[in-house]
Amino acid sequence: MKINYKYFILLFSLLIPLTLGAQSPSDLRINELMVNNEDNLADEYGKHVPWVEIFNTSYNSVDIAGCYLTNDTTGFAAGDPSRWYRIPTGDPKTVVPPRGFVVFYLDNLPTYGVFHTNFDPSEPTSSNYIALIAQGGKKMIHFFEFPAYLRDTTADYTYGYKKDFSLADSVMIGDSLVKNKDKLDYFTPGAQNYPIYEATKAEIVQQKDKYGLALMVIAMTVVFSSLFIIFVLMKLSGRLNALIPTWIKKYKDKKQGITSEPSVKEGVEPTDVDSGEEMAAIGMALHLYFNTNHDYESEIITIETPKVHASPWAQKQLIHRRIPRRK
Amino acid sequence: MEFIEFFKLGVSQFLGYTGFANVTWGHICMIAVGIFFIALAVKKNYEPLLLIPIGFGMIIGNIPFVGGLEVGLYESGSVMNYLYFGVLHGLYPPLIFLGIGAMTDFSALISNPKLILVGASAQFGIFAAYIIALALGFSTMEAGAIGIIGGADGPTAIFLTSKLAPEMLGAIAVSAYSYMALIPVLQPPVMRLLTTPRERLIKMRPPRAVSHREKVYFPILGILLTTFVVPSALPLLGMLFLGNLLKESAVTKRLAATASGPLVDIVTILVGLTVGASTQATNFLKWDSILIFGLGALSFIFATAAGVTFVKIFNLFLKDGNKINPLIGNAGVSAVPGSARVSHVEGRRYDKGNYLLMHAMGPNVAGVIGSAVSAGILLSFLY
Repeated sequence: MKINYKYFILLFSLLIPLTLGAQSPSDLRINELMVNNEDNLADEYGKHVPWVEIFNTSYNSVDIAGCYLTNDTTGFAAGDPSRWYRIPTGDPKTVVPPRGFVVFYLDNLPTYGVFHTNFDPSEPTSSNYIALIAQGGKKMIHFFEFPAYLRDTTADYTYGYKKDFSLADSVMIGDSLVKNKDKLDYFTPGAQNYPIYEATKAEIVQQKDKYGLALMVIAMTVVFSSLFIIFVLMKLSGRLNALIPTWIKKYKDKKQGITSEPSVKEGVEPTDVDSGEEMAAIGMALHLYFNTNHDYESEIITIETPKVHASPWAQKQLIHRRIPRRK
Repeated sequence: MEFIEFFKLGVSQFLGYTGFANVTWGHICMIAVGIFFIALAVKKNYEPLLLIPIGFGMIIGNIPFVGGLEVGLYESGSVMNYLYFGVLHGLYPPLIFLGIGAMTDFSALISNPKLILVGASAQFGIFAAYIIALALGFSTMEAGAIGIIGGADGPTAIFLTSKLAPEMLGAIAVSAYSYMALIPVLQPPVMRLLTTPRERLIKMRPPRAVSHREKVYFPILGILLTTFVVPSALPLLGMLFLGNLLKESAVTKRLAATASGPLVDIVTILVGLTVGASTQATNFLKWDSILIFGLGALSFIFATAAGVTFVKIFNLFLKDGNKINPLIGNAGVSAVPGSARVSHVEGRRYDKGNYLLMHAMGPNVAGVIGSAVSAGILLSFLY
């Protein structure tokens, strides 16, 4: 059966947009939440209300406008967003910068501005989750559950990801492995959740490899390895390139029932194969023959610029169009 | 009387704005260096495509002026500042690599793949300079940027420095390009020192013919292998191999012609001019710049020595007919085709019939890949 690859390519190209979510609201994640806010972040009206921080995990700006925030997903299956808070469009502040953050106040006061939602998770009847839903209301971007004690017990403490949103269950903080999604030690609305200044890569190298020897050994090993792999593959491809046409020819001959005698017997020096020098000499002779001993003209008419001794100021083509040549 | 007062004020204000009122010895010194670069290019024909724009850029960058007129390279909103954006944000180097790819013939490398390893060995110069720079008190990021001068690759040096130590961009770029121009002076003494007369006479087997299919495979294999190992080198290697594929595919002649012609010419002018102009005396004339120049020379010498020594060691494992002339070891630094030309000239100095150019092009183009990979490694460790 003949396979038509065109259909496969078409199908594959249709599937790609479904799997790629880069640089869209699907890159947004709920990163930090404070439910019981007594003395922490104040909103623009000076009120201490619950807040949630959303993190743009991508390396490009993402506009969160049109997405929904809610603590009640009952209408989700039916695609009914009427009870959810739709983030208004048209405000430039809804564009979250690459690896940036945006904070929403969960105060059930949507008339206070774009960043004030229509629900309040600190109310006793509220659910223990916050959901971020994509534009259109059919795709859940992030479902963020939190423990009930966050509402009921100690005030002013936040819950979220120790290291800004990461799928890992555990992460390294300093030298210890800790649970990733947990009560946070720092309140960081609008900033990264682990603000202790970790050493940069360069600082780590400076501390651990003072003389640069380790970096040199690693780097030279990597350079050699990567180029060695190319060397091996090019060596193989060179051999394969010589063998493949022979294999194809043999296969075709076999299919057509042709049995060909090998042109060069093993152990016998070929006599009908010319060396490179001979081929070059023949090539040169032919080149000279065809290019010097001809009996017709090239049919190219050359117009030489007249060498006028008049002042060049009178003839601008002489001064404007000539590029000086080095003698 | 009022008119005369105003006239005096106007004249004194005007004079205060002229270059004569603001000139310092530093400016004069840098303008002299610029003129020297131009003279080197015109008289000695040392890398004129680079030294003329850089030299002229140095003159432009060192014309004294009063700040705030939005004319200086480091003043936001000035035309020169906009042009410098491409250097500062690493925009120009990948475009130059696209042109280099479209100009480079990897046949020498494909026909004799073991020469790739010579290109790898010469990257030692980068890391030797890195170690010395650390010892001299530079930070790791600065040392990484200084070390890359040893890669002998202007675009790579600019690309890496713009990320690691942008404040050193002028000194490092000028150093890299100057030493690339001075390769015929720097390399031969090292090559002669490390080789015996007998080794210099080694004749290498002529390279085999390379098929079109292999030439098309090479950039695809090259991009996959190198960037999977060092993804941070993607901007440079991606463009290098794309340029080469445009050329070798033989079906995109117009694109290859543009990449290797007008595009690379435009970017070369802009890079040369802005890099030259970035050497404003106030920013450039520092003790660090002198150290950078010294380290740059050392890194070139180490790279050359490493390439030549590697070939000598490699020869111990090769059969008689397959030996490599150590004079092509210097070509592992990626100054294409300057260092390959040096190998050729040196080879012919000892044997008129020994043509090393095509053989030297192998490590030379491997050096381009190697230095981009090295830059990627430095980026992934330090940035």
